[in-house]
Amino acid sequence: MARVESILRIEDVVKKFGEVAALDHCSFNIEPGSITGLIGPNGAGKTTLFNLITGVLRPDSGHIYFKGEEITGKKPHEIARKGVGRTYQIIRIFPKMTLLENLIVVGKGKEKRVIERAMELLSLVKLAEKKDDNASELSFGQQKLLSLAQVLMLDAELVLLDEPAAGINPTLQNELMALIHQLNREGKTFIIVEHDMNVIMGHCGSAIALNYGQKIAEGTCSEIQNDECLLEHYFGR
Amino acid sequence: MKALLSEKNRIWLGIFVLMAFLISIPFFASDYWITLLTLILIFTVYSSGWNVFSGLTGYTNFGLAWSIGLSGYVSSLLIADYGFFWLFAWPVGAIFTGIVSIGVGYILLRIKGVYFAISMVALTEGTRELFGTKYLKTVTHGGIGVPFVAGIGLSTLYWAILVLAFFTIVICYRISFSKFGLRLLTIREDEQAAETLGIHTTREKIIAFILSAFLVGLAGSIHFTYQNYIDPSFAFNIQLTLTPIVMTLFGGVGTVFGPLIGATLFTFIHEILWAELTLLYMAVFGGILMVLILFFPQGLLGWLKERGILPRSRKI
Amino acid sequence: MANFAELFMRGLMLGSVYALVGMGLTLVWGVVGLVNVAHGEFVMLGAYFAFWAFSLLHLNPLFSVALAIPVFFVAGVLIHRQITERLVKEHELSALILTFGMSILIWNLAQFFWTNTYRSVPYLTGNFTFMGLVLSKGKTVSFVLAMVITAALFLFLKYSSWGKAIRATSQNPEVALVCGIDTMKMRMITYGMGIGLGGAAGAIISLQWVIFPQMGASYISRAFAIVVLGGLGNIHGALAGGLIIGTLEAMVTQYLSAKMAQIIPSVTILIILLVRPTGLFKK
Repeated sequence: MARVESILRIEDVVKKFGEVAALDHCSFNIEPGSITGLIGPNGAGKTTLFNLITGVLRPDSGHIYFKGEEITGKKPHEIARKGVGRTYQIIRIFPKMTLLENLIVVGKGKEKRVIERAMELLSLVKLAEKKDDNASELSFGQQKLLSLAQVLMLDAELVLLDEPAAGINPTLQNELMALIHQLNREGKTFIIVEHDMNVIMGHCGSAIALNYGQKIAEGTCSEIQNDECLLEHYFGR
Repeated sequence: MKALLSEKNRIWLGIFVLMAFLISIPFFASDYWITLLTLILIFTVYSSGWNVFSGLTGYTNFGLAWSIGLSGYVSSLLIADYGFFWLFAWPVGAIFTGIVSIGVGYILLRIKGVYFAISMVALTEGTRELFGTKYLKTVTHGGIGVPFVAGIGLSTLYWAILVLAFFTIVICYRISFSKFGLRLLTIREDEQAAETLGIHTTREKIIAFILSAFLVGLAGSIHFTYQNYIDPSFAFNIQLTLTPIVMTLFGGVGTVFGPLIGATLFTFIHEILWAELTLLYMAVFGGILMVLILFFPQGLLGWLKERGILPRSRKI
Repeated sequence: MANFAELFMRGLMLGSVYALVGMGLTLVWGVVGLVNVAHGEFVMLGAYFAFWAFSLLHLNPLFSVALAIPVFFVAGVLIHRQITERLVKEHELSALILTFGMSILIWNLAQFFWTNTYRSVPYLTGNFTFMGLVLSKGKTVSFVLAMVITAALFLFLKYSSWGKAIRATSQNPEVALVCGIDTMKMRMITYGMGIGLGGAAGAIISLQWVIFPQMGASYISRAFAIVVLGGLGNIHGALAGGLIIGTLEAMVTQYLSAKMAQIIPSVTILIILLVRPTGLFKK
């Protein structure tokens, strides 16, 4: 039986800002095709971790491997092109460009194909009619969908979502999560940072808990739910 | 007949008529008008060149005079000291500047925002001093002015800059709706987000920077040949940086025709103001700059697009 | 040896005035988030202020220095309220261009009204000897004044309630807002202080150097080098930076040439931005 290679391997990663260790010897693996939740209080190091994986920051020590290849310290655009996409907690799309332009600019290859793909994705997130509107004119929830569409334009295999469900109404939330599951069935791996435990419990197969830059728990969602130590850290009981 | 007069064909016809008119100017206009148009065209290239980098990427280049002066010096010295023919001296100057810009761009474009603006000013000042020192005297004449004659008539010079201006605008137009242009825009919108979406922002910035330096340098070479004179404070003068920026602001930063409109309007206003208000001219210039940035930062074209008078296309 | 010590003192004295100019610029830049390119022009106006007070009202220039502070403070507050506050939310470069226009407007108006004739305030001339060193009276008094104002500034920022509010706004504007600090008011006050420092520096400069409308340009370039050296918004860094630039300038002028000394600001800026962009000093 062939060993399944982890799609993402974080090995003993340390990142300090001055004296403060945002990530303190953190290690874990992500299996391909999984949806993993990343939880922990504010300042636990979740966003820093995303920044390190995507190359926005360099770790002070430690290694990061994507599909077996070392990506530690590589430039963000290189890592993105290898197949790692991310969205941001505070939505970052290109406001003064149209929806279509927001997607086309990410695409590579023949113009015709790129436009076709962009239109496919816009239809997928139900924003096709607004293709020529400026991105700034979208509602909050629609901007989140556009941001996800951009990541899909990259053909990312590993998608890092930073609080995708925050600030949108439950209906849209369900649509979004359904989309994520659909993409997951097609083979994409997700890591989701969320504070809303319902989202984590309801949609993630497993979860990793961070606090003060360290991994304090890891396992399936039911394991995490029952972990006393974790409950104490997270909810301060 | 209707197909012949379609919108697209009408635009082509308009361009053809305009260019025919401009080309024929030296045959009937006075030297004053040819000179005025020459200056407008030179500054159109300066402004468009500035705009193609700064207007699209959002990196405000406060060192335009650096590219202008460097290319101008190389070309002028080639003509004055080495007897080069102007047709060869000009491109050599521009290419030299383009090549040096690769290094400068690679080093300085890592610096973001305001710091980048400051570093470009520092570079310009430093280069000006460098050209004035006695250490480079054998090459640069060490700060003494270099008067020279290039053996080119006013009309020919005018036609040369007309050709350059035409091609510059065509380039800007093509870029405005190309993927390259879109990528440059993402740098202005959100550079980090662009990077995490796979866009090699450093490479795009440098390419735009080199293109800008080349175009602007070529116009600079023509400019100094026209002046028949060059010296460091003249070549690396902050006015050469400022004026194109103001012109582009006037017309509309990030638009295709904004620099052209800005250069034209501004030059005419300058002519009038200069005649009426010689002493206070600069003060008024400063005041206009303040008013523009406070109340019309989008420039004339931007304002027209917002009002719906012009279509909101990137191609304009 | 005495020569070197004199040179060093000269450098420090020069630097103390530069530091004053630099501190005004970095204060506004760090707290208000504005690059005030017109700062040099306020220095120039401060110099002319002392000059006209001296020639027309026979006012003791030392008194003008003290008077310049409140006068320019008020002017700064008004300018910020009416003009520069509008651009606080915009791209920083808009403010850069705005203040650039302001700079051109001011020095050209100065040139128009007061002409290019060099002026000076012949109040303190000559040298005196101190511990075996021959020092210029004018420069020494300038040094003392600059240091007094600097000390007052530091004390103000550290102990007064406004000072604390300013530091809070500088470190984290959102938190400051939530804590009930009126950030707009703080920005106005800070801008006023920045201009006040500039005006005072100008008045001090009038004691020992010639005055002319374009003098702002040389001070702004040094001020930028000082801000970059000391770290953005870092007042203590600006003090150190000013002293460093002043001493460097004195040394280079003496041992190389005045012309070479002119490129110190540009070279400093380029080197620091490339090697250590956050400045030499920690906040």
